[in-house]
Amino acid sequence: MLRTTLIKALNAAKLSPKHVSVVSRASSDVAKKPEKIEVFIDDQPVLVEPGTTVLQAAALIGIEIPRFCYHERLAVAGNCRMCLVEVEKSPKPVAACAMPVMKGWRIKTESEMTKKAREGVMEFLLVNHPLDCPICDQGGECDLQDQSMAFGSDRSRFTDIDFSGKRAVEDKDIGPLIKTIMTRCIHCTRCIRFASEVAGVDDLGTTGRGSGMEIGTYVQKFFLSELSGNVIDLCPVGALTSKPYSFTARPWEIRKIDSIDVLDAIGSNIVVSTRTGEVMRILPRTNEEINEEWLSDKARFAYDGLKRQRLVTPMLRGSDGELTPVDWETALLSVGKVLRNAGSSVGAIAGGLADAEALVALKDLLNRLGSEDLCTEHTFPMDGSGSDLRSNYLLNNKIAGAEDADFVLLIGTNPRFEAPLLNSRLRKAYVHKELDVALVGPKVDLTYEYDHLGDDPNVISEIASGKHPIAKKLKAAKKPLIILGADILQRPDGGALLAAVQSLAASTTPSEGWKVFNILHKVASQVAALDIGYTPGVDKIRENSPKVLFLLGADEAAIDKSDLPEGCFVIYQGHHGDQGAVIADAILPGAAYTEKQATYVNTEGRAQQTLQAVSPPGQAREDWKIIRALSEVIRVPLPYDNLNEIRCRLHDVAPHLTRYGEAENANYFKQAEELAKTAKSSNLSGSPIDVKIKELKDFYMTDAISRASPTMAKCVQAVLKQKQSKY
Amino acid sequence: MAGTIVRITNAARNHYGFLAANCSNVQAALLSTLPPGTPPPQTKTTFGPLADEDRIFTNLYGKHDWRLKGALKRGDWYKTKEILVKGADWIINEVKTSGLRGRGGAGFPSGMKWSFMNKPGDGRPKYLVVNADEGEPGTCKDREIMRHDPHKLVEGCLIAGKAMGAKAAYIYIRGEFYNEASNMQVAIAEAYQAGLLGKNACGSGYDFDVYMHRGAGAYICGEETALIESLEGKQGKPRLKPPFPADVGVFGCPTTVTNVETVAVAPTICRRGGTWFASFGRTRNSGTKLFNISGHVNRPCTVEEEMSITFKELVERHAGGILGGWDNLLAIIPGGSSTPLIPKSVCEDVIMDFDGLVAAQTSLGTAAIIVMNKQTDIVKAIARLIMFYKHESCGQCTPCREGINWMNKIMYRFVDGNAKPEEIDMLWELSKQIEGHTICALGDGAAWPVQGLIRHFRPELEERMRKFHGQERSAAQC
Amino acid sequence: MASLLLRSGALKKCPNLKWSIASLSTTSSRLSDDVSKAVKQKEAPQITHDTALLNPEEIEQRKRLQGYITVDAQSNVAPITGQPEEHVKGRLVRIYEPAKNAMQSGTDNTGHWEMDFDTRERWENPLMGWCSSGDPLSNMKVQFSSKEEAIRHCEKNGWEWYIQESSFEKPFKPKSYGVNFSWNKRTRVSTK
Repeated sequence: MLRTTLIKALNAAKLSPKHVSVVSRASSDVAKKPEKIEVFIDDQPVLVEPGTTVLQAAALIGIEIPRFCYHERLAVAGNCRMCLVEVEKSPKPVAACAMPVMKGWRIKTESEMTKKAREGVMEFLLVNHPLDCPICDQGGECDLQDQSMAFGSDRSRFTDIDFSGKRAVEDKDIGPLIKTIMTRCIHCTRCIRFASEVAGVDDLGTTGRGSGMEIGTYVQKFFLSELSGNVIDLCPVGALTSKPYSFTARPWEIRKIDSIDVLDAIGSNIVVSTRTGEVMRILPRTNEEINEEWLSDKARFAYDGLKRQRLVTPMLRGSDGELTPVDWETALLSVGKVLRNAGSSVGAIAGGLADAEALVALKDLLNRLGSEDLCTEHTFPMDGSGSDLRSNYLLNNKIAGAEDADFVLLIGTNPRFEAPLLNSRLRKAYVHKELDVALVGPKVDLTYEYDHLGDDPNVISEIASGKHPIAKKLKAAKKPLIILGADILQRPDGGALLAAVQSLAASTTPSEGWKVFNILHKVASQVAALDIGYTPGVDKIRENSPKVLFLLGADEAAIDKSDLPEGCFVIYQGHHGDQGAVIADAILPGAAYTEKQATYVNTEGRAQQTLQAVSPPGQAREDWKIIRALSEVIRVPLPYDNLNEIRCRLHDVAPHLTRYGEAENANYFKQAEELAKTAKSSNLSGSPIDVKIKELKDFYMTDAISRASPTMAKCVQAVLKQKQSKY
Repeated sequence: MAGTIVRITNAARNHYGFLAANCSNVQAALLSTLPPGTPPPQTKTTFGPLADEDRIFTNLYGKHDWRLKGALKRGDWYKTKEILVKGADWIINEVKTSGLRGRGGAGFPSGMKWSFMNKPGDGRPKYLVVNADEGEPGTCKDREIMRHDPHKLVEGCLIAGKAMGAKAAYIYIRGEFYNEASNMQVAIAEAYQAGLLGKNACGSGYDFDVYMHRGAGAYICGEETALIESLEGKQGKPRLKPPFPADVGVFGCPTTVTNVETVAVAPTICRRGGTWFASFGRTRNSGTKLFNISGHVNRPCTVEEEMSITFKELVERHAGGILGGWDNLLAIIPGGSSTPLIPKSVCEDVIMDFDGLVAAQTSLGTAAIIVMNKQTDIVKAIARLIMFYKHESCGQCTPCREGINWMNKIMYRFVDGNAKPEEIDMLWELSKQIEGHTICALGDGAAWPVQGLIRHFRPELEERMRKFHGQERSAAQC
Repeated sequence: MASLLLRSGALKKCPNLKWSIASLSTTSSRLSDDVSKAVKQKEAPQITHDTALLNPEEIEQRKRLQGYITVDAQSNVAPITGQPEEHVKGRLVRIYEPAKNAMQSGTDNTGHWEMDFDTRERWENPLMGWCSSGDPLSNMKVQFSSKEEAIRHCEKNGWEWYIQESSFEKPFKPKSYGVNFSWNKRTRVSTK
């Protein structure tokens, strides 16, 4: 008790470290900036860049000015008036969020005038706000509640409640994800600004005026965007809440576990909220390098797929061809027997959700059995330097780096749905930094304008040879990015395509340290698997026809029974009864990403770990432990018994796999390009470049978890319904 | 008769001024230290009535031809080229000398406002926007100009545009003003055909376009930044300031938004000289002004008068006095609905100019005088005004959206007296919570009438509450 | 331990104690009538009964024990805390900076370091449906002002730890209201 209060006092005194870091960052590039100006906030001097708003200047020294409409990642609106503060010698209080500071201003954030202004605004906001906090999902994490406590009056004088009552507004149906209770709306317009600036869909807006003003979609329409869930977070009151989460839990009774999203290759940071051993909801967690504070809808809402279609017990296919539940011992013994009999004729395919621990354990096991046939479901060309050079298969310039680019060439990718948060970065740069984008591939809606260069792969060589009009732009760009979708590398001429793009990247003249060549993966496991030494693609399995095939969460049906030799025994280890489990002869139930502490490497090569939020259901166990137990059964025990030891093994394989939070750089672009030239690369075929996910409806269900999610299914339905609507 | 008197005094004053400038070295030295464009000091002590030859709007009542031919006859477009050729600085200096203050309500010195635009450009075009969205209840001066003297405005646009180096002028006209818009459009077309606008306007070598844009009938679009938003095709919701329109205005370019009357008097000021204009009215309140007198007067009218005329003289001379005689006066709203009312006791000797009305705790506003005699239910009148503001609030910022709605509810209870006397203080506080806390001045404009009512008619409010509760009690006893 | 010492020390210095004893004294004047006088009143030194029975060496020893002892070496209190070994060995402590709640704009409860333990198995209680856990440390979240302090605490208790670095910093960029209306930038807003 004593300690916590002391810490709080200390914190208050010494300013929180994040503010300090902002100051130091701001001062580091002072050389090119104009002179700083000094202002005084509550008599504390602070030096700021010209143009800084009062609110930002106050934040620099740790003074927080209350706000509703202001959000640092959105445009300034200045309409809630909560941030009014007194400026000495000004007759009226000024809106801190929009007012740039002037030299020598003395700002008083705790003066009588300021307090009165806040109290007045607070009172007005509450006039038409229903007092239904006990049944409101925002209750407990509501800005209006908190600020009403801190800055509002201690009593109500809304005498008109006895005469005319409060305003009531009809709720809107804006889709299966967001529940609206529009009576609670305080018209901060954050959702509108998010939709039009970040999500890039101008669906939300206001209608009516005065006290009749409403937020809505103008016509009955769903607010459908791959980032729509973020407006739930942004809404400072309970007007926009999560539909799947509604009335299920209160913020003070849930346990929050920091984790990583694995449903795309971005590796967004998340907070998993659990209660009664169930995942109740998933929220974003700020990480400036990756997802800022946004989260894609799939990552946010697919969690109910974790409760359905789960494999909760080991199963063996009986003589009748039916899978029957067995206990672990039986399962491991029979699987062990098959494996031992097979000798070295074992293959393995890792799926998109496999973690690095399980990947390395499986590889060690198979290597010990004498097999090298370890593949990933998602392919990558192996001609040239293939996956030997890390720079070949990473988003080398990092996600945050996309913001600084001055020209982006997208090839065979639809980042909007393959990596929504990378796309939101690109859009941010497009809006704020005048970024120009060009795309080779099918024409898709990226939420921003771009040059569509057609879907002919030969465009790439045209650009490289300087014949194409866009070539000049690419050459002139100081910070160009070429982002190649991993999907199109599955084409038969993937190697040639990769080589062409590599040589195109090499022909640019970027500024020092800038990396032009980038690959955007679609699944979370791919980079770790390639780092560990898996062979991309399942061709090897097809060629070698193993007697036993081990599927580690491989659910994309990259291989089916017809590809395998007669009598091939298929072991499926994973968490969902999806396409992999269908062809399996034995099933070992594994843990999903919320149920294990596991390592994932995202598309930029950044190792991050998920933390265990809930226990795996039924008899399911953590994946690497299952493999470890299996190794014991077949008497080739793996040399690690706990998480630390297997992480040491990971460290031995590749040290960056355990340097969590850091993205290891990869730099062999030149060599890669040289090697690509020596490869027996075939010529580019003329078939058009295509991407799998073209529209929103394809976005929601892409893996075993989201395919099992009823919420995601509803989203798909909503998109289809919206398509039939005339709006 | 009156005209002659004025003429004599004018001559005398000019004479004195001439003498003074010659005789007194001290004064000359003083004058020379003043920056250029300072209006000459006023020596008159009584103001009004205005002589006919000093009227700027000579076709205010539409008795003559409003088209180009008629306008030329009245002296419009006379030597406009020469004015333009004299240059922007000369025009601004003349306007500064005239002491002209904005006629739209705020009363900002026009010369200064125009000079804000006259700085080196950064590649962006500059625009003049004429605010013809005259929506203030009681105000009907701009429409008279636009339907009966549209060429004054068109010429004013050209001259003001030249003064600020604007590329074009947008006249944002209220949607309801159909005939006015139609006349304006005809006038603009005539001016184009006569070569007075467009490329090489008036042969001065200056290219200038005038466009007319019809609004859709929202009061808030008369607020300058909301008007800009509306002109850009967005919802008419005011912007915060800064950035001021002179920096980021319509289409993101430097813009000046001025009232119709301000622009329309500019040509006459340039032609007859700033000092001429400054000779009317008290110092800092100079010029002539269109007054709109409505309500309980015998002859409601719009009339051009000298500034600083007393209310009593204005209403007796031009509006035929109060209905039921001067003693039947209850209160007036002196400058359009958003200004606080003043009761008869204050009206006795109030001077109709910016400073005079500020001294009376109200404001000149648009000089639209709403006269209320003793047959008025003053509480209901103000309640109706608040209802108007409630209806016209754009809903963007909290104090205005929620506060005015609440005030409206309270006011209508006050009309019946269905409230407690403490609520009067509460209403006062609420109005203070709105005033100065909103993005634009609409919140202030809604708060002031209530404040005026409470300031001057509190006993009336309390009496109603007493009566209401008395009735209620007796009803309960029965 | 420290708090125990503190308490005994505080008791000694506590003026209230003195005052309550004084009010029970048998002097003729009633001290409670005039408090200011009573405070100034000189009293014979109070001897508490536990010190009265000690010999001088014991008093000396006790005095020595009251002070703090500086230990240079890294101390590990795990063996003497009485904590079961299963909660010392094999537990992994995460030391991290809590992120701002995405649902709110306030930044309270951030800007410090915290530690928590790995999640152990939880199960649903079949009777009531409540969630149970056999892990007594599952609710232990301790706040620290710096990560070094948190590390020291973990090492003292013999827990394995790791740091989860966060990335909350971002380059400072002045916000501008004017860009919403910019004439040639894409920041220009269209909807409201």
